[in-house]
Amino acid sequence: MKKIAVFLTILLLATSTLFAAGTKEEGTKETTLSVMWFNDANESDVFMKTIDDYLKANPHVKVDLQVVAYSEYDQKLKMMISGGNPPDVARISTNTLSVVVDSLEPIDGYVDDIEKVKQEFLPSMVAFAMNKDNKLVAYPTEATANGMIVNKTAFDNAGIDLDAVSKTWTWSEWEKIVSNVIAANPKMKYGLAVDFTPHRFSTIMYQFNGHFLNADQSAMEFNNPGTINTLNWFKHVHDSGLVPKSVWLGSENPAELFQAGLVAGHIGGSWNINTYNKNVKDFEWKVVNMPKAAINSSVPGGKFVASFKGSANKVEAQKLMAAFSDNAHNEAYCLDTFNLSSRADATIDYPSNSKDFDVFLSELKVTPAFTANEWKNTNLSKVTTYIKEQIVEVLLGNVTPEQAVANVDAKGNTYFK
Amino acid sequence: MYGRASPLLFGNLMKKTVQGNFHQIKAPLLFLLPNILIFVIFIIIPAIQGLRMSLTEWGVFTEPTFIGLANFKELFQDKVFWRTFSNTLVFSFFTVALMMLYSLLLALLLNKNALRGEKIFRSLFYIPSLLSMITVGIAWRFILGDEMGIVNYVLRSFGGEGIHWLTNGNLAMASVILVSVWAGAGYYMVILIGGLQAIPLELYEAATIDGASPARTFRSITLPLLKSTLLVVLVLATISSFKAYELIFVMTKGGPGYATKLIVQQVYQVAFMEDRMGYASAMSILLMILIGLVTIVQFRISGKDQDYE
Repeated sequence: MKKIAVFLTILLLATSTLFAAGTKEEGTKETTLSVMWFNDANESDVFMKTIDDYLKANPHVKVDLQVVAYSEYDQKLKMMISGGNPPDVARISTNTLSVVVDSLEPIDGYVDDIEKVKQEFLPSMVAFAMNKDNKLVAYPTEATANGMIVNKTAFDNAGIDLDAVSKTWTWSEWEKIVSNVIAANPKMKYGLAVDFTPHRFSTIMYQFNGHFLNADQSAMEFNNPGTINTLNWFKHVHDSGLVPKSVWLGSENPAELFQAGLVAGHIGGSWNINTYNKNVKDFEWKVVNMPKAAINSSVPGGKFVASFKGSANKVEAQKLMAAFSDNAHNEAYCLDTFNLSSRADATIDYPSNSKDFDVFLSELKVTPAFTANEWKNTNLSKVTTYIKEQIVEVLLGNVTPEQAVANVDAKGNTYFK
Repeated sequence: MYGRASPLLFGNLMKKTVQGNFHQIKAPLLFLLPNILIFVIFIIIPAIQGLRMSLTEWGVFTEPTFIGLANFKELFQDKVFWRTFSNTLVFSFFTVALMMLYSLLLALLLNKNALRGEKIFRSLFYIPSLLSMITVGIAWRFILGDEMGIVNYVLRSFGGEGIHWLTNGNLAMASVILVSVWAGAGYYMVILIGGLQAIPLELYEAATIDGASPARTFRSITLPLLKSTLLVVLVLATISSFKAYELIFVMTKGGPGYATKLIVQQVYQVAFMEDRMGYASAMSILLMILIGLVTIVQFRISGKDQDYE
């Protein structure tokens, strides 16, 4: 009996040791996470810097960072997902999120309290990151907003009190003001450059009470008075020379035109603050409220990190994302990349431009909620390139705004069948 | 005497036949096998797959559904596709014609040691064809840009007006054609120099003795004997022009509007932006048929009285 007891004890100890060793091996298994990133400015470098402490604390985790140009990002990501070889972690913009949302791994299986996680972020950003089963599939990192950045020096030269006029200005008032600015600055040729994207165009469209989709998002409704008015206005400012044709007709970079002092303002996004901070040395610039049409509006957007259902390293990927998205790491990342944080509890003391960020945030506060839902719609994302082409056709005078909106609805609705 | 061959004689004959068979048929086939395999794996099989896909409704994240010829029916009513189709024909026609003329001119100039520093010039003209088309596109956009372009900057510095190289539809098409010719001519120049150097010098010497003018020599000796090389250049340049994408996309993004949008860009857009792989495959199949037809016509016309000595 004694012998049997000793034997069982030894067996128990041996198996315990074996299991313990097994657990240890599981926890410290060498893992290389493939991470895909794109840059607006310096985000990939800052990402690596931000997670440096996490990687030091978890030496078994390595990161294989692949930086892809944003213009090729969607295509590459889609091909990787459809080929069954997605990255473990990817940086994803709002536009891309709407396309790949069904391929993303829900976060709720990897955290203790998903509701607590959701509450840590801005509700509008959480709304973007929910899938059709109402599960959170991505951690919001940065919140973005479209807005107007202007050459303050040029306005000063024209004797215009920018802060005073921009509080309540309308687009028709802006036309007169900016004409004076151009006249007072010999080098300046244009009043405004608008990024060559439907997203930035939609900023003005929403201000004119336009929209892409019907109220329940079941069909295209680009054919509406607000959108037609926007197209007419957009053509008018191009034809009158207030907006350079070289951006929408010739693909010239509006940020370069702004930096060269050729345009008085730029409708871009909050991410431009970082670029202009580094590059603009010849004049003072600042963010101002955009002029009002029927309403004031911006377009909310953001950047996220997510992992995929097909990832081979889901657990480590989720751990890395959770660490990167906690308060300390998120604040550090947003501080160094000059971005608005998606976290509700973030208090970032930017070394400069705090007032500029405040303007973007104030624009977001008055933005109608449906704008985010429109840009979250997967079917809309399929027709945005065609929308861009049709807007250019209007600017060229090849089609009327009425024909253009009808064309867009006809094509877009094929995706809503 | 047709007596029965001895076993020894029969054995030798068989051995020779087998050896001959190996040297004449099997050995060349073995050498060709890697290329044939690559051709089958990367060209034939994808082409068959493409044909199969063109008969389906298929997004990147969805399963293909067989829809017969519906994609092709839709294609024939797609105005944007036919606009890109006609753009492709215009772009190809002018690019190939100018490419052949320019590369032939360069080859003639740089063939006979007529210029000092000929090798340097050959290298200089060849270098653009080594560059990535994206790099070439960015560089030329920087040169031809409306507001930020160097050419317009210089014109305005002298009090002139800027020229809308990339924002006027016709000028944009002309710009991308000229840049494509500039970027590709060096490659074809090298092929043509090879062809020129294969022409026996004695023929030129005889022509000189007979008092033939340079123009007559070119017409009666150079051109006929260069015909097979010119045909190669014609076919390669045509196929390449039908597949043009990166350079134009970087320079104009296919614009303004649809002015410089070619079929390949439309295929990319439909496949990856609109997520319609099946429809994009149907476009690709049509493009493949077009390239095939044009190539056959070129061979028929140019190769009618071909002298493959």
